[in-house]
Amino acid sequence: MTGSSLERVLRSRRVLVCVGAGGVGKTTLAAALAMRAAALGRSALVCTIDPARRLANALGLTWLGNAPTEVRTEVLAAAGITLAAPLRAMMLDLKASWDELIERQAPPGQRERILQNRFYQTLSTVLAGSQEYIALERLGQLRERSEADLIVLDTPPTAHALDFLDAPSRILDFLDNEAARWLLDPALRASRLSLRLAHWGGGVAAKTIGRIIGGDTLEELAGFLGAVSGMNQGFRERARAVRTLLSSPETGFVLVAGASPERREEALRFHAVLGDRGLQRDGLVVNRVQEEPPASADRELTGLPEPLHGALVRTLGETRALAERDRVGVRLLREGSAAVPLIAVPRFSSEIHDLRALWRAGSYLLGEAVIL
Amino acid sequence: MSGLLDRRLLLVTGKGGVGKSTVAASLALRLASAGFRTLLCEVNAGGRLGRLLGHPEVGADVTLVEPNLSMVDLQPDAAMREYVLQKIRLERVYRAVFENRMVRYFLRFIPALAETVMLGKVLWHLRQWPEAPGGFDRIVLDLPATGHALTLLGVPRGLLTALPSGPMSTEARWMHELLVDPVTTSAVLVSLPEELPVNETLELAQALRSQLSIRVGAVVLNQAVPSRFGAGDRAALGGRPGLAALVGAYEEDAHRTAEALERLQGIDGPLVQLPRLVTPQVGRDELAALGEVLAEGLR
Repeated sequence: MTGSSLERVLRSRRVLVCVGAGGVGKTTLAAALAMRAAALGRSALVCTIDPARRLANALGLTWLGNAPTEVRTEVLAAAGITLAAPLRAMMLDLKASWDELIERQAPPGQRERILQNRFYQTLSTVLAGSQEYIALERLGQLRERSEADLIVLDTPPTAHALDFLDAPSRILDFLDNEAARWLLDPALRASRLSLRLAHWGGGVAAKTIGRIIGGDTLEELAGFLGAVSGMNQGFRERARAVRTLLSSPETGFVLVAGASPERREEALRFHAVLGDRGLQRDGLVVNRVQEEPPASADRELTGLPEPLHGALVRTLGETRALAERDRVGVRLLREGSAAVPLIAVPRFSSEIHDLRALWRAGSYLLGEAVIL
Repeated sequence: MSGLLDRRLLLVTGKGGVGKSTVAASLALRLASAGFRTLLCEVNAGGRLGRLLGHPEVGADVTLVEPNLSMVDLQPDAAMREYVLQKIRLERVYRAVFENRMVRYFLRFIPALAETVMLGKVLWHLRQWPEAPGGFDRIVLDLPATGHALTLLGVPRGLLTALPSGPMSTEARWMHELLVDPVTTSAVLVSLPEELPVNETLELAQALRSQLSIRVGAVVLNQAVPSRFGAGDRAALGGRPGLAALVGAYEEDAHRTAEALERLQGIDGPLVQLPRLVTPQVGRDELAALGEVLAEGLR
């Protein structure tokens, strides 16, 4: 079978977003994609969220900071890798990015008030989709400023596909919503929230909510929403820009999945959601697929003593069972994602933490090597 | 000293993809088969555990699915409704106030409100005497991945600090006391023999102890691969490249397992290994078998 290749994608896109559930190897594959793009002559930047220390070390970056750092040619050369364009890596610090966004967008008098507010802590850390939103917001900013031909974004582990893709819309919804406008409208803001609540619903509402969460909390929330209201317009423009970037023809999505039954289900759901949004699905990468044991293994068993013989037979059987499970998994994934190229990357016997192994993973992504 | 299975509340967590739900379901099956009336809870997971155990009908209401085993998928809106109705007892008022769109908008921004009501529901069941309506002998909570789990568990303490008085802090106080009581509650940390999951497990154990004062009852290394072949075995495979490659790959996994075990020893609490399963599907039978392995390892 001839393998699918992401070469065309690596040559043409300006942004690649790697998505998928936590623990499937998104970060590693994002780095492998960026490395191969650089090998094809396009300067590439990989933004990761939470890289393994060994991966950062492998890239020769002892310190993976909030700004792009170039992977040094001598580090690459030591692994026998020559790139035709620079490869850079950076780590997204999500909390710092939120603070920076507020500092940039907030009216001068309001900055400290916002950063100190308890509700801001919720907005920047807990509110569903806020991490996803800020990752996308940073992506938009990097795309505007960075000279890299291609930016590969590794995304935060997301329990629900929608959290990620809906993050900009949610922020927009919040700001565009009638309720928010009602709260944020400067003319109305002058009156106290509790009074407004008292008007509406004849006081029952305010009293009831107050009984559940406390009246002080309501007042504080009103204060916060008042303080961020000056940022309303800026936020709205940013969120819209991010949404535009995601659906632009320059941007593609690579879905990273696992072959096991639980992982498969998540991947197909994610795949469907991407399609529903009309986003460009550039590939489905099934990572850590178990390969069949070497064909000669059975023959080689002859003449070996027990208990070694028994242990080998058992290991051979287990490896075959895992390979069969993954073969079925890959087939089902392929059937469930027919229109999108599927690439299987084998489970390497050691974790991919050096540049050579990254390069090797890349050869599957480009269809130079194929399993299944 | 009594063991993990004597705790009334087990909090199962770890990095995404390590097999938390597998471990939570296995523990719940084991407890139920030992005769404990058990409630298995997941947090807004779209009924994943229900499907895993063959009970796709499980939703936001506590449902008895097998003898001694009940399940629930905690959802913020349903938990909110239940909580508010407990307080105000008037369905009409609830609908008028809390189902109002604008009020919903405020509620989304109240720090930790969704978490408070979901955790509150679990702990309410815990607080009931096992014989009382809504009461259980054992509760297993399949928590979200590390960061979200810490947020959720940290809610009562956070509320007590931020709002020393008021309706939410009254709730927070009893919730906090149940979570930090080592006789009642233990955390079960699930990990995999890989670098990042182990890092996260170590950080999680540290955070549970120092920030939240929640006791770690067990660390479970999932998909563990025990070493099978010594240097002598490998030497005997000279001239057999296929088998040498097979053994090399196997022992590489075993080496990672050993490495993970060594690092996880640093956590104070029993360390149990679950074998890597090679079956095509993990269903109820496999989970029940894993439950036995866990119980044996924790004895």
